This record gives sequence, structure tokens and C-alpha cells, in this order.
Amino acid sequence: MFSFRYALRETGQNLWRNILLAVATVVTVGVSLAMFGGFMLFQVAVDSATARWQDGVEFIVWMNADTGTDEDAGVRNQLDESPGVQHWEYVDRQTSYEEFQEFFEDTPEVLDIFTAEGVPPYFRVVPVDPDPDVVEELGSQFKGKPGVRTVTFAGDVIRDVQNLSNRAGRVLFIGSIVLLAASTLLILNTLAVAISNRRTEIEIMRLVGATKWFIRIPFMLESLVQGLLGALVAMISNALLRNYVIDQFSDADGLQLLAGFKVDDAAMLQVNLLVVAVAVGVAVVGSVLAVAMHLNE
Amino acid sequence: MIKMEKVTKVFKGDVVALRDVTIDIGKGEFVFLVGPSGSGKSTFIRLLNREDVPEHGRIFVAGRDIGGLSGWRVPYLRRNIGYVFQDYKLLQKKTVAENVAFALEVIGKGPQVINRQVPAILELVGLSRKMDRFPHELSGGEQQRVSIARAFVNRPLILLADEPTGNLDPNTSVGIMRLLERINEIGTTVVMATHDSSIVDSMRQRVVELDRGMVVRDQARGVYE
Repeated sequence: MFSFRYALRETGQNLWRNILLAVATVVTVGVSLAMFGGFMLFQVAVDSATARWQDGVEFIVWMNADTGTDEDAGVRNQLDESPGVQHWEYVDRQTSYEEFQEFFEDTPEVLDIFTAEGVPPYFRVVPVDPDPDVVEELGSQFKGKPGVRTVTFAGDVIRDVQNLSNRAGRVLFIGSIVLLAASTLLILNTLAVAISNRRTEIEIMRLVGATKWFIRIPFMLESLVQGLLGALVAMISNALLRNYVIDQFSDADGLQLLAGFKVDDAAMLQVNLLVVAVAVGVAVVGSVLAVAMHLNE
Repeated sequence: MIKMEKVTKVFKGDVVALRDVTIDIGKGEFVFLVGPSGSGKSTFIRLLNREDVPEHGRIFVAGRDIGGLSGWRVPYLRRNIGYVFQDYKLLQKKTVAENVAFALEVIGKGPQVINRQVPAILELVGLSRKMDRFPHELSGGEQQRVSIARAFVNRPLILLADEPTGNLDPNTSVGIMRLLERINEIGTTVVMATHDSSIVDSMRQRVVELDRGMVVRDQARGVYE
């Protein structure tokens, strides 16, 4: 029969005996997970800011809010017949209004002004050739057509933001993977030291008939605690990043693009859950390796 | 209780620790293993506890062939075998009572069993009054008594002792041997490896002599040489 009280007590004692090493491990795991979480949050924020411009969309044909079916059909036909259009997507008035609500959820004064009827439907268009001059010429063909309010282009700023986010994201991702590998090794080493410190105890446990798992579980719990404490550090870092960096961008006056640069509660929860899952993964891999290398009778 | 059939144990480098050993030890027997250093006494004990497995032959403990025992069953075998070390191997940061309780705790015994059995075994080994002391506060003989208490607290069928008096003076050794004798009288089979001729000669129990891994003498009520 396994005693949880025993396992918890031994885990606590192990952590206390090697407190400096345990703190170093928690900090390393925390920093690497914070980088990983930062990468995820950054991606979420950029995706949120450039949502309409994902998947190669180069220009948007905005219809009038009170546009009729015939006028919509006219634009559809022109998009279908244009050889320069690879494909397009129609966003109806209701979906457009939902996107609008999401985009301005933090500014109720804007939401109060508009109703679903006041928000226009639009066409997201992916051209065959993404060359800016070709896109400009293609998009301009829709200006002034019946029912069309305006045509907007992705432009250099959007692409620059996406490119920058891709590059920064790659650096953060690679950095976090390297640090997570280092964290795994550090957990392995911390457990190796803990096992070495308790060699006599382990020998006695084996000889009096303790099962392998009874001996292993306190060590594995120790690494799990370190991983979860690291995840806690990362979650605090995520909260600070969201509240003091990302939200500051979205509050910047006059930068319409950055108004969408934000992370909502659901995305935050998803990122934090992913951080915890990665922390558990790192702890399990580190402890399984340590047990296999140092506790395999 | 213990049976070895043509057991051979070879270590790396073709060092033969035990060669073709056949022996039968009955329930409740007290057996001295004697012989020079390197004769195979410790290997004999390690094989009984499944710390090692033989290259050839079969070993039976309580009627079960332990050579064929799967890994996860070994701990359950060991719960029936107490082990006493020459150097005591006590946990220095635990008290006498905690050292003894540890042996029960790690096999999953609950507080009720521990609270009942630990004081009883400490009474048996004569350390009731020192149950809250730490190992460094005890003499060598007392530390060995704690080690014996820890080995016996689970009431094993067999007690293996590898040079239990090796670090003790003659007077203290006598006390330890009286304790082992008492445990044997309760019905526990005791197998003890020793170099101490005076103890073997005074107790006149069964003596199995090993030399270069072979049993060269098996004598009931024997002497050291």
C-alpha cells in the first residue's frame, strides 16, 4: 500500500535538503517557460491584430452597411471572373459585427455607437500575385462599384508586423526550446544529487522490501513540484507581459493596427494551460531519465 | 527454509565466487558461515536476498525458487528476510525509533502497526529508554541493536547477518550474539557470516565453511576451525 503522507514528507525533505539546487532549477524552468509563454502570447496578440490579413489576404473590399443582395452578387461575379484573384471569402454582416465586437471589446464607447445594421459585410481577397503594384491595381478595380464603400490593402505595415512577429517568434521559440532542454537536464541533475544524498536510505529501503515505485515516487514528485513552481513563475511573467506590455500597445492612441494587439482571457487561459502541460512534460522527462540512470536496480 | 542446488556464481573477469554449492538449511536453524576473506560468504548472503542471481543452479527460499522470481516480486521476498550489516547503516538524521519505523513505513505499514511494533521490538533489543536518541548518541553495540531491531521488526522468517560483530569489542559482541540467539529461539532462521572464532566456538551451532567458493565443511554443533 502506498502512503501519500510518506511520499509528500519525503518530497518536502528532499527539496529542503537541496534547497539551493531546487531554487536554481525552479528559476531555470520558470525562465524557459516564461520565454515559451511569451512566444505564445506574442503570437496570439499578433494574430489578433492581423486577424483579417491572415492566410495571404492582400486586400479587403468593404461593402456599404446597407448594401443589397444584388450589389453583393455583382462583386462576387467580378471576383469569380477576375484571373488575378486566387480565391476570396465573404464575411457577412453578422460575422462582421461579431468580429467588430471582439476587436473593440475593451472600448465600450465605440461599441455603443454601432449596431449590427451599421457594420458592413466585406470580401477578403487572396490574389494570385502578391506583388504590391499588382495587388494595388487589382484592388482598385473594385473601387466605385455599386455597393462598395472602400477597398483597403494589407500594405507594408501589416506585412512588416507579421514578418517581425515571425522572426521574433522563431527566436523566442528556439530560445525557449534550448532552455527547456537545459531545464530537463537540471531536473535530472537535481534528482541525481538527491538520490546520491540518500544512497544509504535507498539501500535500506530495497533490502527491507520497498517496491521500486515506492522508492521512485518521492523523487518524481520532487521534480513535478519543481516543474509546477517553474510554471507558476512563468504564469506570473505571462500576466505581467499581458498587463504591462501587450495591453500598453493596444492602448496606444492613433495606431489602429495595434488596437487589436491584445490577448483575451480565453487565450490567456489556453497559454497558461499549455505552460503547465509543458512544465509537467519537462518534469516527467527529467525524472524518468534520472530514475532510469540512477535508481535502476 | 533455504535450499541451494549446485549454485555457481561467477563475477566479471571469470572470478568464481561460489562453485557448485548445495546446501539445505531448515526452519529455525542457526548457521554460521565461516571462511577466509573472498571465500564467498557475502556472495552466499547476497544470493539469498536476490541482490545477485547465480549463473547456474537453483535457490529456494521458503519453498519458492527465487531465481525465477520476476523483478516486481523481489521486494515481497525481502519482506520475509531481515538483513543486518557490519556497519549498521543507520540513518543519522532519524532517531532510534524512526530508524526502526522506517523499515515498516517503506513497505506501506500504517501508523497503528508502527506504533504497536516499534516499541515492542525496542523492548526486545533493550533500547526502550533510548528510542528518542540519534545514532551518534549510541555506542557501537547499541547501534547494532538498532540495526537488528530494524531487520526484525517485520518479523521475517529469515535473518541474514553479514559480520554483525565485525566492528564490536568481544564483550559487546557477546551481547549481540545473545540477542540473535533469542531471535532464533522465537523460530527465525539465522544465517550469519563471521570471522569471529570465539563466538562460533562458544555457541556450538551449525557451521558451514567456505573456501574459494566451495563448501569444504558442513558441521552440526561445529567450531570455527
